[in-house]
Amino acid sequence: MLSRRAISTVAGAGMALGMAVASSAQAEPLKVGIVESLSGSQTSTGRLYATAARYVLEKVNEQGGYNGEQIEILEYDNGGNTSGAAAKVRQAIADGVNVIIQGSSSAVAGQVSEDVRKHNIRNRGDEVLYLNVGGEAMELRGNKCHYHAFHFTSTAPMRVGALTQVMSEQGDLGDRVYSINQNYSWGKDMQESIEARADEYGYEVVDTVLHEVNRIQDFAPYVAQIKSANPDSVITGNWSNDLLLLMKAVGGAGLDDITFGTAFLDQVGNVANAGQGAMGNYVAHPGNIELLSEEFVNDYQSMTGHYPVYVEPGAVNGIKLFTKALEKVDFEGGDIDVNQIAAALEQATLETDLGEISIREGDHQTVMPVVVSRVSKDVKYPVDGTDMGFEPIEVVSAEDAIFSVQESCRMRRP
Amino acid sequence: MEFLITSALNGVIYGMLLFMVSAGLTLIFGMMGVLNFAHASFYMLGAYFAYTLSGIFNFWIGLLVAPLLVGIIGILVERYLLRRVHFYGHAHELLLTFGLAFIFEELVKLFYGDYPVNYRMPDVLNFAAFNIFGTDYPFYRVFIGGVALAMFISLLVLLNKTRVGIVVRGAERLPQTAQALGHNVPLVFMGVFGAGAALAGLGGAVAGAFYPTNPNMALELGVIVFVVVVVGGLGSLTGSLLASLMIGIFSSFAVGLDWSLAGAFDWVGLGGWARSVGGLLTMSISSISGAMPFLLMLIVLLVRPAGLMGSKN
Amino acid sequence: MRYKLPLIALLMVALVAVPPLFGGGVQYALVNALIASLFAAAFNLLMGQGGMLSFGHAAYFGIGAFAVLHLMQAVEYGGLGVPTVLLPLAGGVAGLTGGLFAGYFATMRAGVYFSLVTLALAELLYSLAPHWEGIFGGEAGLSSMRMPFMGLNFGTTLEVYYLTLVWVVLCLVILYAYTRTPFGRLTQALRDNAQRIRYMGYNAHATKVVVFAISTTFAGIAGGLMAISSETANYSIFSTHISAEVVLYTFVGGSTVFFGPIIGASIFTLFGFVVSGATNAWLLYQGLIFVLVMLYAPSGIGGLIQAHIDQRHRLPWARLPLPYAVLAGGGVLISLAAVFFIQSVEHVFSNRYQTVVTRTGEWPDYHLLGASWDPLSPVTWLVSLVLLVPGVIIVRKAMARIHELWEDQGADVYESETAPAAGGGH
Repeated sequence: MLSRRAISTVAGAGMALGMAVASSAQAEPLKVGIVESLSGSQTSTGRLYATAARYVLEKVNEQGGYNGEQIEILEYDNGGNTSGAAAKVRQAIADGVNVIIQGSSSAVAGQVSEDVRKHNIRNRGDEVLYLNVGGEAMELRGNKCHYHAFHFTSTAPMRVGALTQVMSEQGDLGDRVYSINQNYSWGKDMQESIEARADEYGYEVVDTVLHEVNRIQDFAPYVAQIKSANPDSVITGNWSNDLLLLMKAVGGAGLDDITFGTAFLDQVGNVANAGQGAMGNYVAHPGNIELLSEEFVNDYQSMTGHYPVYVEPGAVNGIKLFTKALEKVDFEGGDIDVNQIAAALEQATLETDLGEISIREGDHQTVMPVVVSRVSKDVKYPVDGTDMGFEPIEVVSAEDAIFSVQESCRMRRP
Repeated sequence: MEFLITSALNGVIYGMLLFMVSAGLTLIFGMMGVLNFAHASFYMLGAYFAYTLSGIFNFWIGLLVAPLLVGIIGILVERYLLRRVHFYGHAHELLLTFGLAFIFEELVKLFYGDYPVNYRMPDVLNFAAFNIFGTDYPFYRVFIGGVALAMFISLLVLLNKTRVGIVVRGAERLPQTAQALGHNVPLVFMGVFGAGAALAGLGGAVAGAFYPTNPNMALELGVIVFVVVVVGGLGSLTGSLLASLMIGIFSSFAVGLDWSLAGAFDWVGLGGWARSVGGLLTMSISSISGAMPFLLMLIVLLVRPAGLMGSKN
Repeated sequence: MRYKLPLIALLMVALVAVPPLFGGGVQYALVNALIASLFAAAFNLLMGQGGMLSFGHAAYFGIGAFAVLHLMQAVEYGGLGVPTVLLPLAGGVAGLTGGLFAGYFATMRAGVYFSLVTLALAELLYSLAPHWEGIFGGEAGLSSMRMPFMGLNFGTTLEVYYLTLVWVVLCLVILYAYTRTPFGRLTQALRDNAQRIRYMGYNAHATKVVVFAISTTFAGIAGGLMAISSETANYSIFSTHISAEVVLYTFVGGSTVFFGPIIGASIFTLFGFVVSGATNAWLLYQGLIFVLVMLYAPSGIGGLIQAHIDQRHRLPWARLPLPYAVLAGGGVLISLAAVFFIQSVEHVFSNRYQTVVTRTGEWPDYHLLGASWDPLSPVTWLVSLVLLVPGVIIVRKAMARIHELWEDQGADVYESETAPAAGGGH
């Protein structure tokens, strides 16, 4: 015979369970829309951002989700262009997403950010957050900045600053620097930053090139031009095909005495394409697998099928910072208010393997350290099936790497 | 000086590649009056087939078999699709090939994915042919140029010195007469279409190992190939070769040119005004090099639609 | 004629009453369908009426969009008092100007050469636009925001939908009326016999330029509506894909009938909206449908409908439903075969699936049409064949029968050739 006490305990537990079920049935799930380039020329990069974001959000779901419900993760293919992004942002908002995550291409990022800003102006009380995990253009933090956009990635001044500092310390920068970049917001930012640091590090910018984006088949003419300018080093912000083909042409021409400083050399395939010519070239990036904890690297591998590469470590940190902010705001199963999440995100900090990262209030840029690495054979994780990988040379601290808030950013706070 | 030589070399070789792809289109256009929108797709298919074959067998088998496969596809397209709509006129044939180009592109995306595949030259070809001014010149570029040159010479010989060539040229100029003389003109058309497709496929198989092999390659090259055909002149192989070399050399040199219209205005003392106007006037040639082939095509179309070497309009 | 007015009235009521029942995503898709319809109708004024096949109509759609964006920016930042509802006019003016200029040159040539000139013009614009910061806003393009006007703030997609609807219907009515005017009839003479125009005392070149410019005016308005709806545009609006799409829409819908392009554009945009989320192969289906229509129904869906209407008094209506139903059944079989094959390939060759294969070395089963399939089993790939072969046989038999029925009644044989497409699409 059961004691009265036991029965009441069971009944109590049952009631509690029932209530939990009832309240969870009413709870509003957090809906996250990943609006990425899942088709088109930037697919490979878009897929990585989506994978990284999913990895972090699914971790949260494994630990019980958020607001009493599993986080709903929806994927949208923006086709790698702005008109596709415009359509998918509207679709995502119609589907009721609270947060939009997007990364590949600053041009698409600009579109998403503007669409979110306009939506939020028109729909007070029903706002949407935009988490930019990859758009590095300064204008996103400048005249396009707004309260509901957060930028988790580095920018041209951060990458170029770290690159020039470390390459100069290592004696690889030289006096003659060549700048080759893509002719759009990001490439122009890179060129500007390269020119801006000339005095500080005592080099001359021997020539600058802004070329068409993703349309060039053969970089040999550009390599011929680089050669004829006789630089000590070349700095480029090229990414996707434009970097792959540049590296291919450089590898073919055997330009061993010119050092390349890049923003995206760690993109899959570059080292293989450049061959032995890749040795000794630099990359400045927000994360390097060599510096990450083995526990995380293996866990990521088991969940996604590959090691965290290229943009993934940085994107993981960004979305983790976002989930840290979520922990600070409890809606107790009720309606989700993204303004409160945004406020919490401004205060959130995250301890990463490289150091602490946080968001600054002025333009919602993430203050974070930047790693400068060099292609070498002395690495734990070789890439692209070669014997080469990225050996970390120096971690430039968050305070040293960050740029000052641009005057063009006039953020209106709710 | 070194820039001059390297650029000229690069330009000539890119031009030769353009010629390889456009030769077939020139013949078909001259002969059948069909502007084949799917022609650049044959170039793409050649690259992808060669990629697959080189993975299963080796690079050389890919290089040989891929153009044959593409040629067969070309024959099938002519025999079972184009001939069916011939009755409705040229516009319809044009539209059909346009739809086919669409389908080929999407099929490639379906099977191979939406990003470049890793089709690479074999290691035996991956060395420096020579060294000019401290820069290695990749042998594979010379190889591309060599294949194209061999193709041009054999085409010329075939068309000018053999019986097949006489029949083909006869069918092109005077189809009715050729038919009356007992030649099977539809068969000639089919053969030329297939051979043209195979040539484009060969171009793809050779070039795909050097330039990126991706689903956009047909679209990117397609319009340029039209430019070559129009500028070179209807049905003229020599014209195509000239136009190809012109465009190749121009795109290679344009990279280094900072000239703009505003610079030209300086000569007459209006440079300052031009710079204040901005827009088109201050764009440097290097930044608008992509637009130049279309400008050239436009001028040729409006001034001399028969093209550089074309004989009929 | 009697049946037409009530039908159109019913359609109008549906267009006004139904959209509020849907969410923003669907409404946005409807806006796009309306814009595509107007664009295709404008394009077809040139093609269907004038016999001029333009491969560069994206150019005029694009300049219309940019013109409207500049005006929107002037309203937003400069306080210019142009109400949002009148903005598309700017697109029309830009399309007209561009069309007069481009049309003057393009119409100097005919046939394939005309197509090539239009193609070259559009490509020229496409490659210049990203470098022309001042007008096209560089790579990022221009963006602006719709400003409130007389209580309407055009904040919701539904409001934008109604704005678009009014403009599109208005433009279509004008375009339709145009085809009924003496000058509109003259345009048709251009297509059929340009020589006649000269004999009638008109300047053929000038006439062509005017037709070209009218077509581009409405293309510009369509572009302007696009700019208002998405509040942004960049150089990619000039791309070959946009020019190609409108060709596809027009010919699948049928370029010989006024409503053909509108049907084609609406079906493709709406179907694309529904399907594109489920499969990346949507464009492949679109291409297949286009080629099938070109092969078996050269006058398009609209042409088929028109043929039935024209022959309505002669057709043996009582005997037609059965063969038509059989034909549709065969079409369904063929479609299923194609869909099964393409979707299977999409699954098995997808990046995600191939990652699993390379990691585990196994080819796991995949799910399709409510069952799971083994990609290595020949049975899986036979399914398509098993569906396809009887499908083709049935379609051929039914076609022959329909052909017979049409011929019996002395109906136009050419038109009956077009019948099979009724069930041929996917």
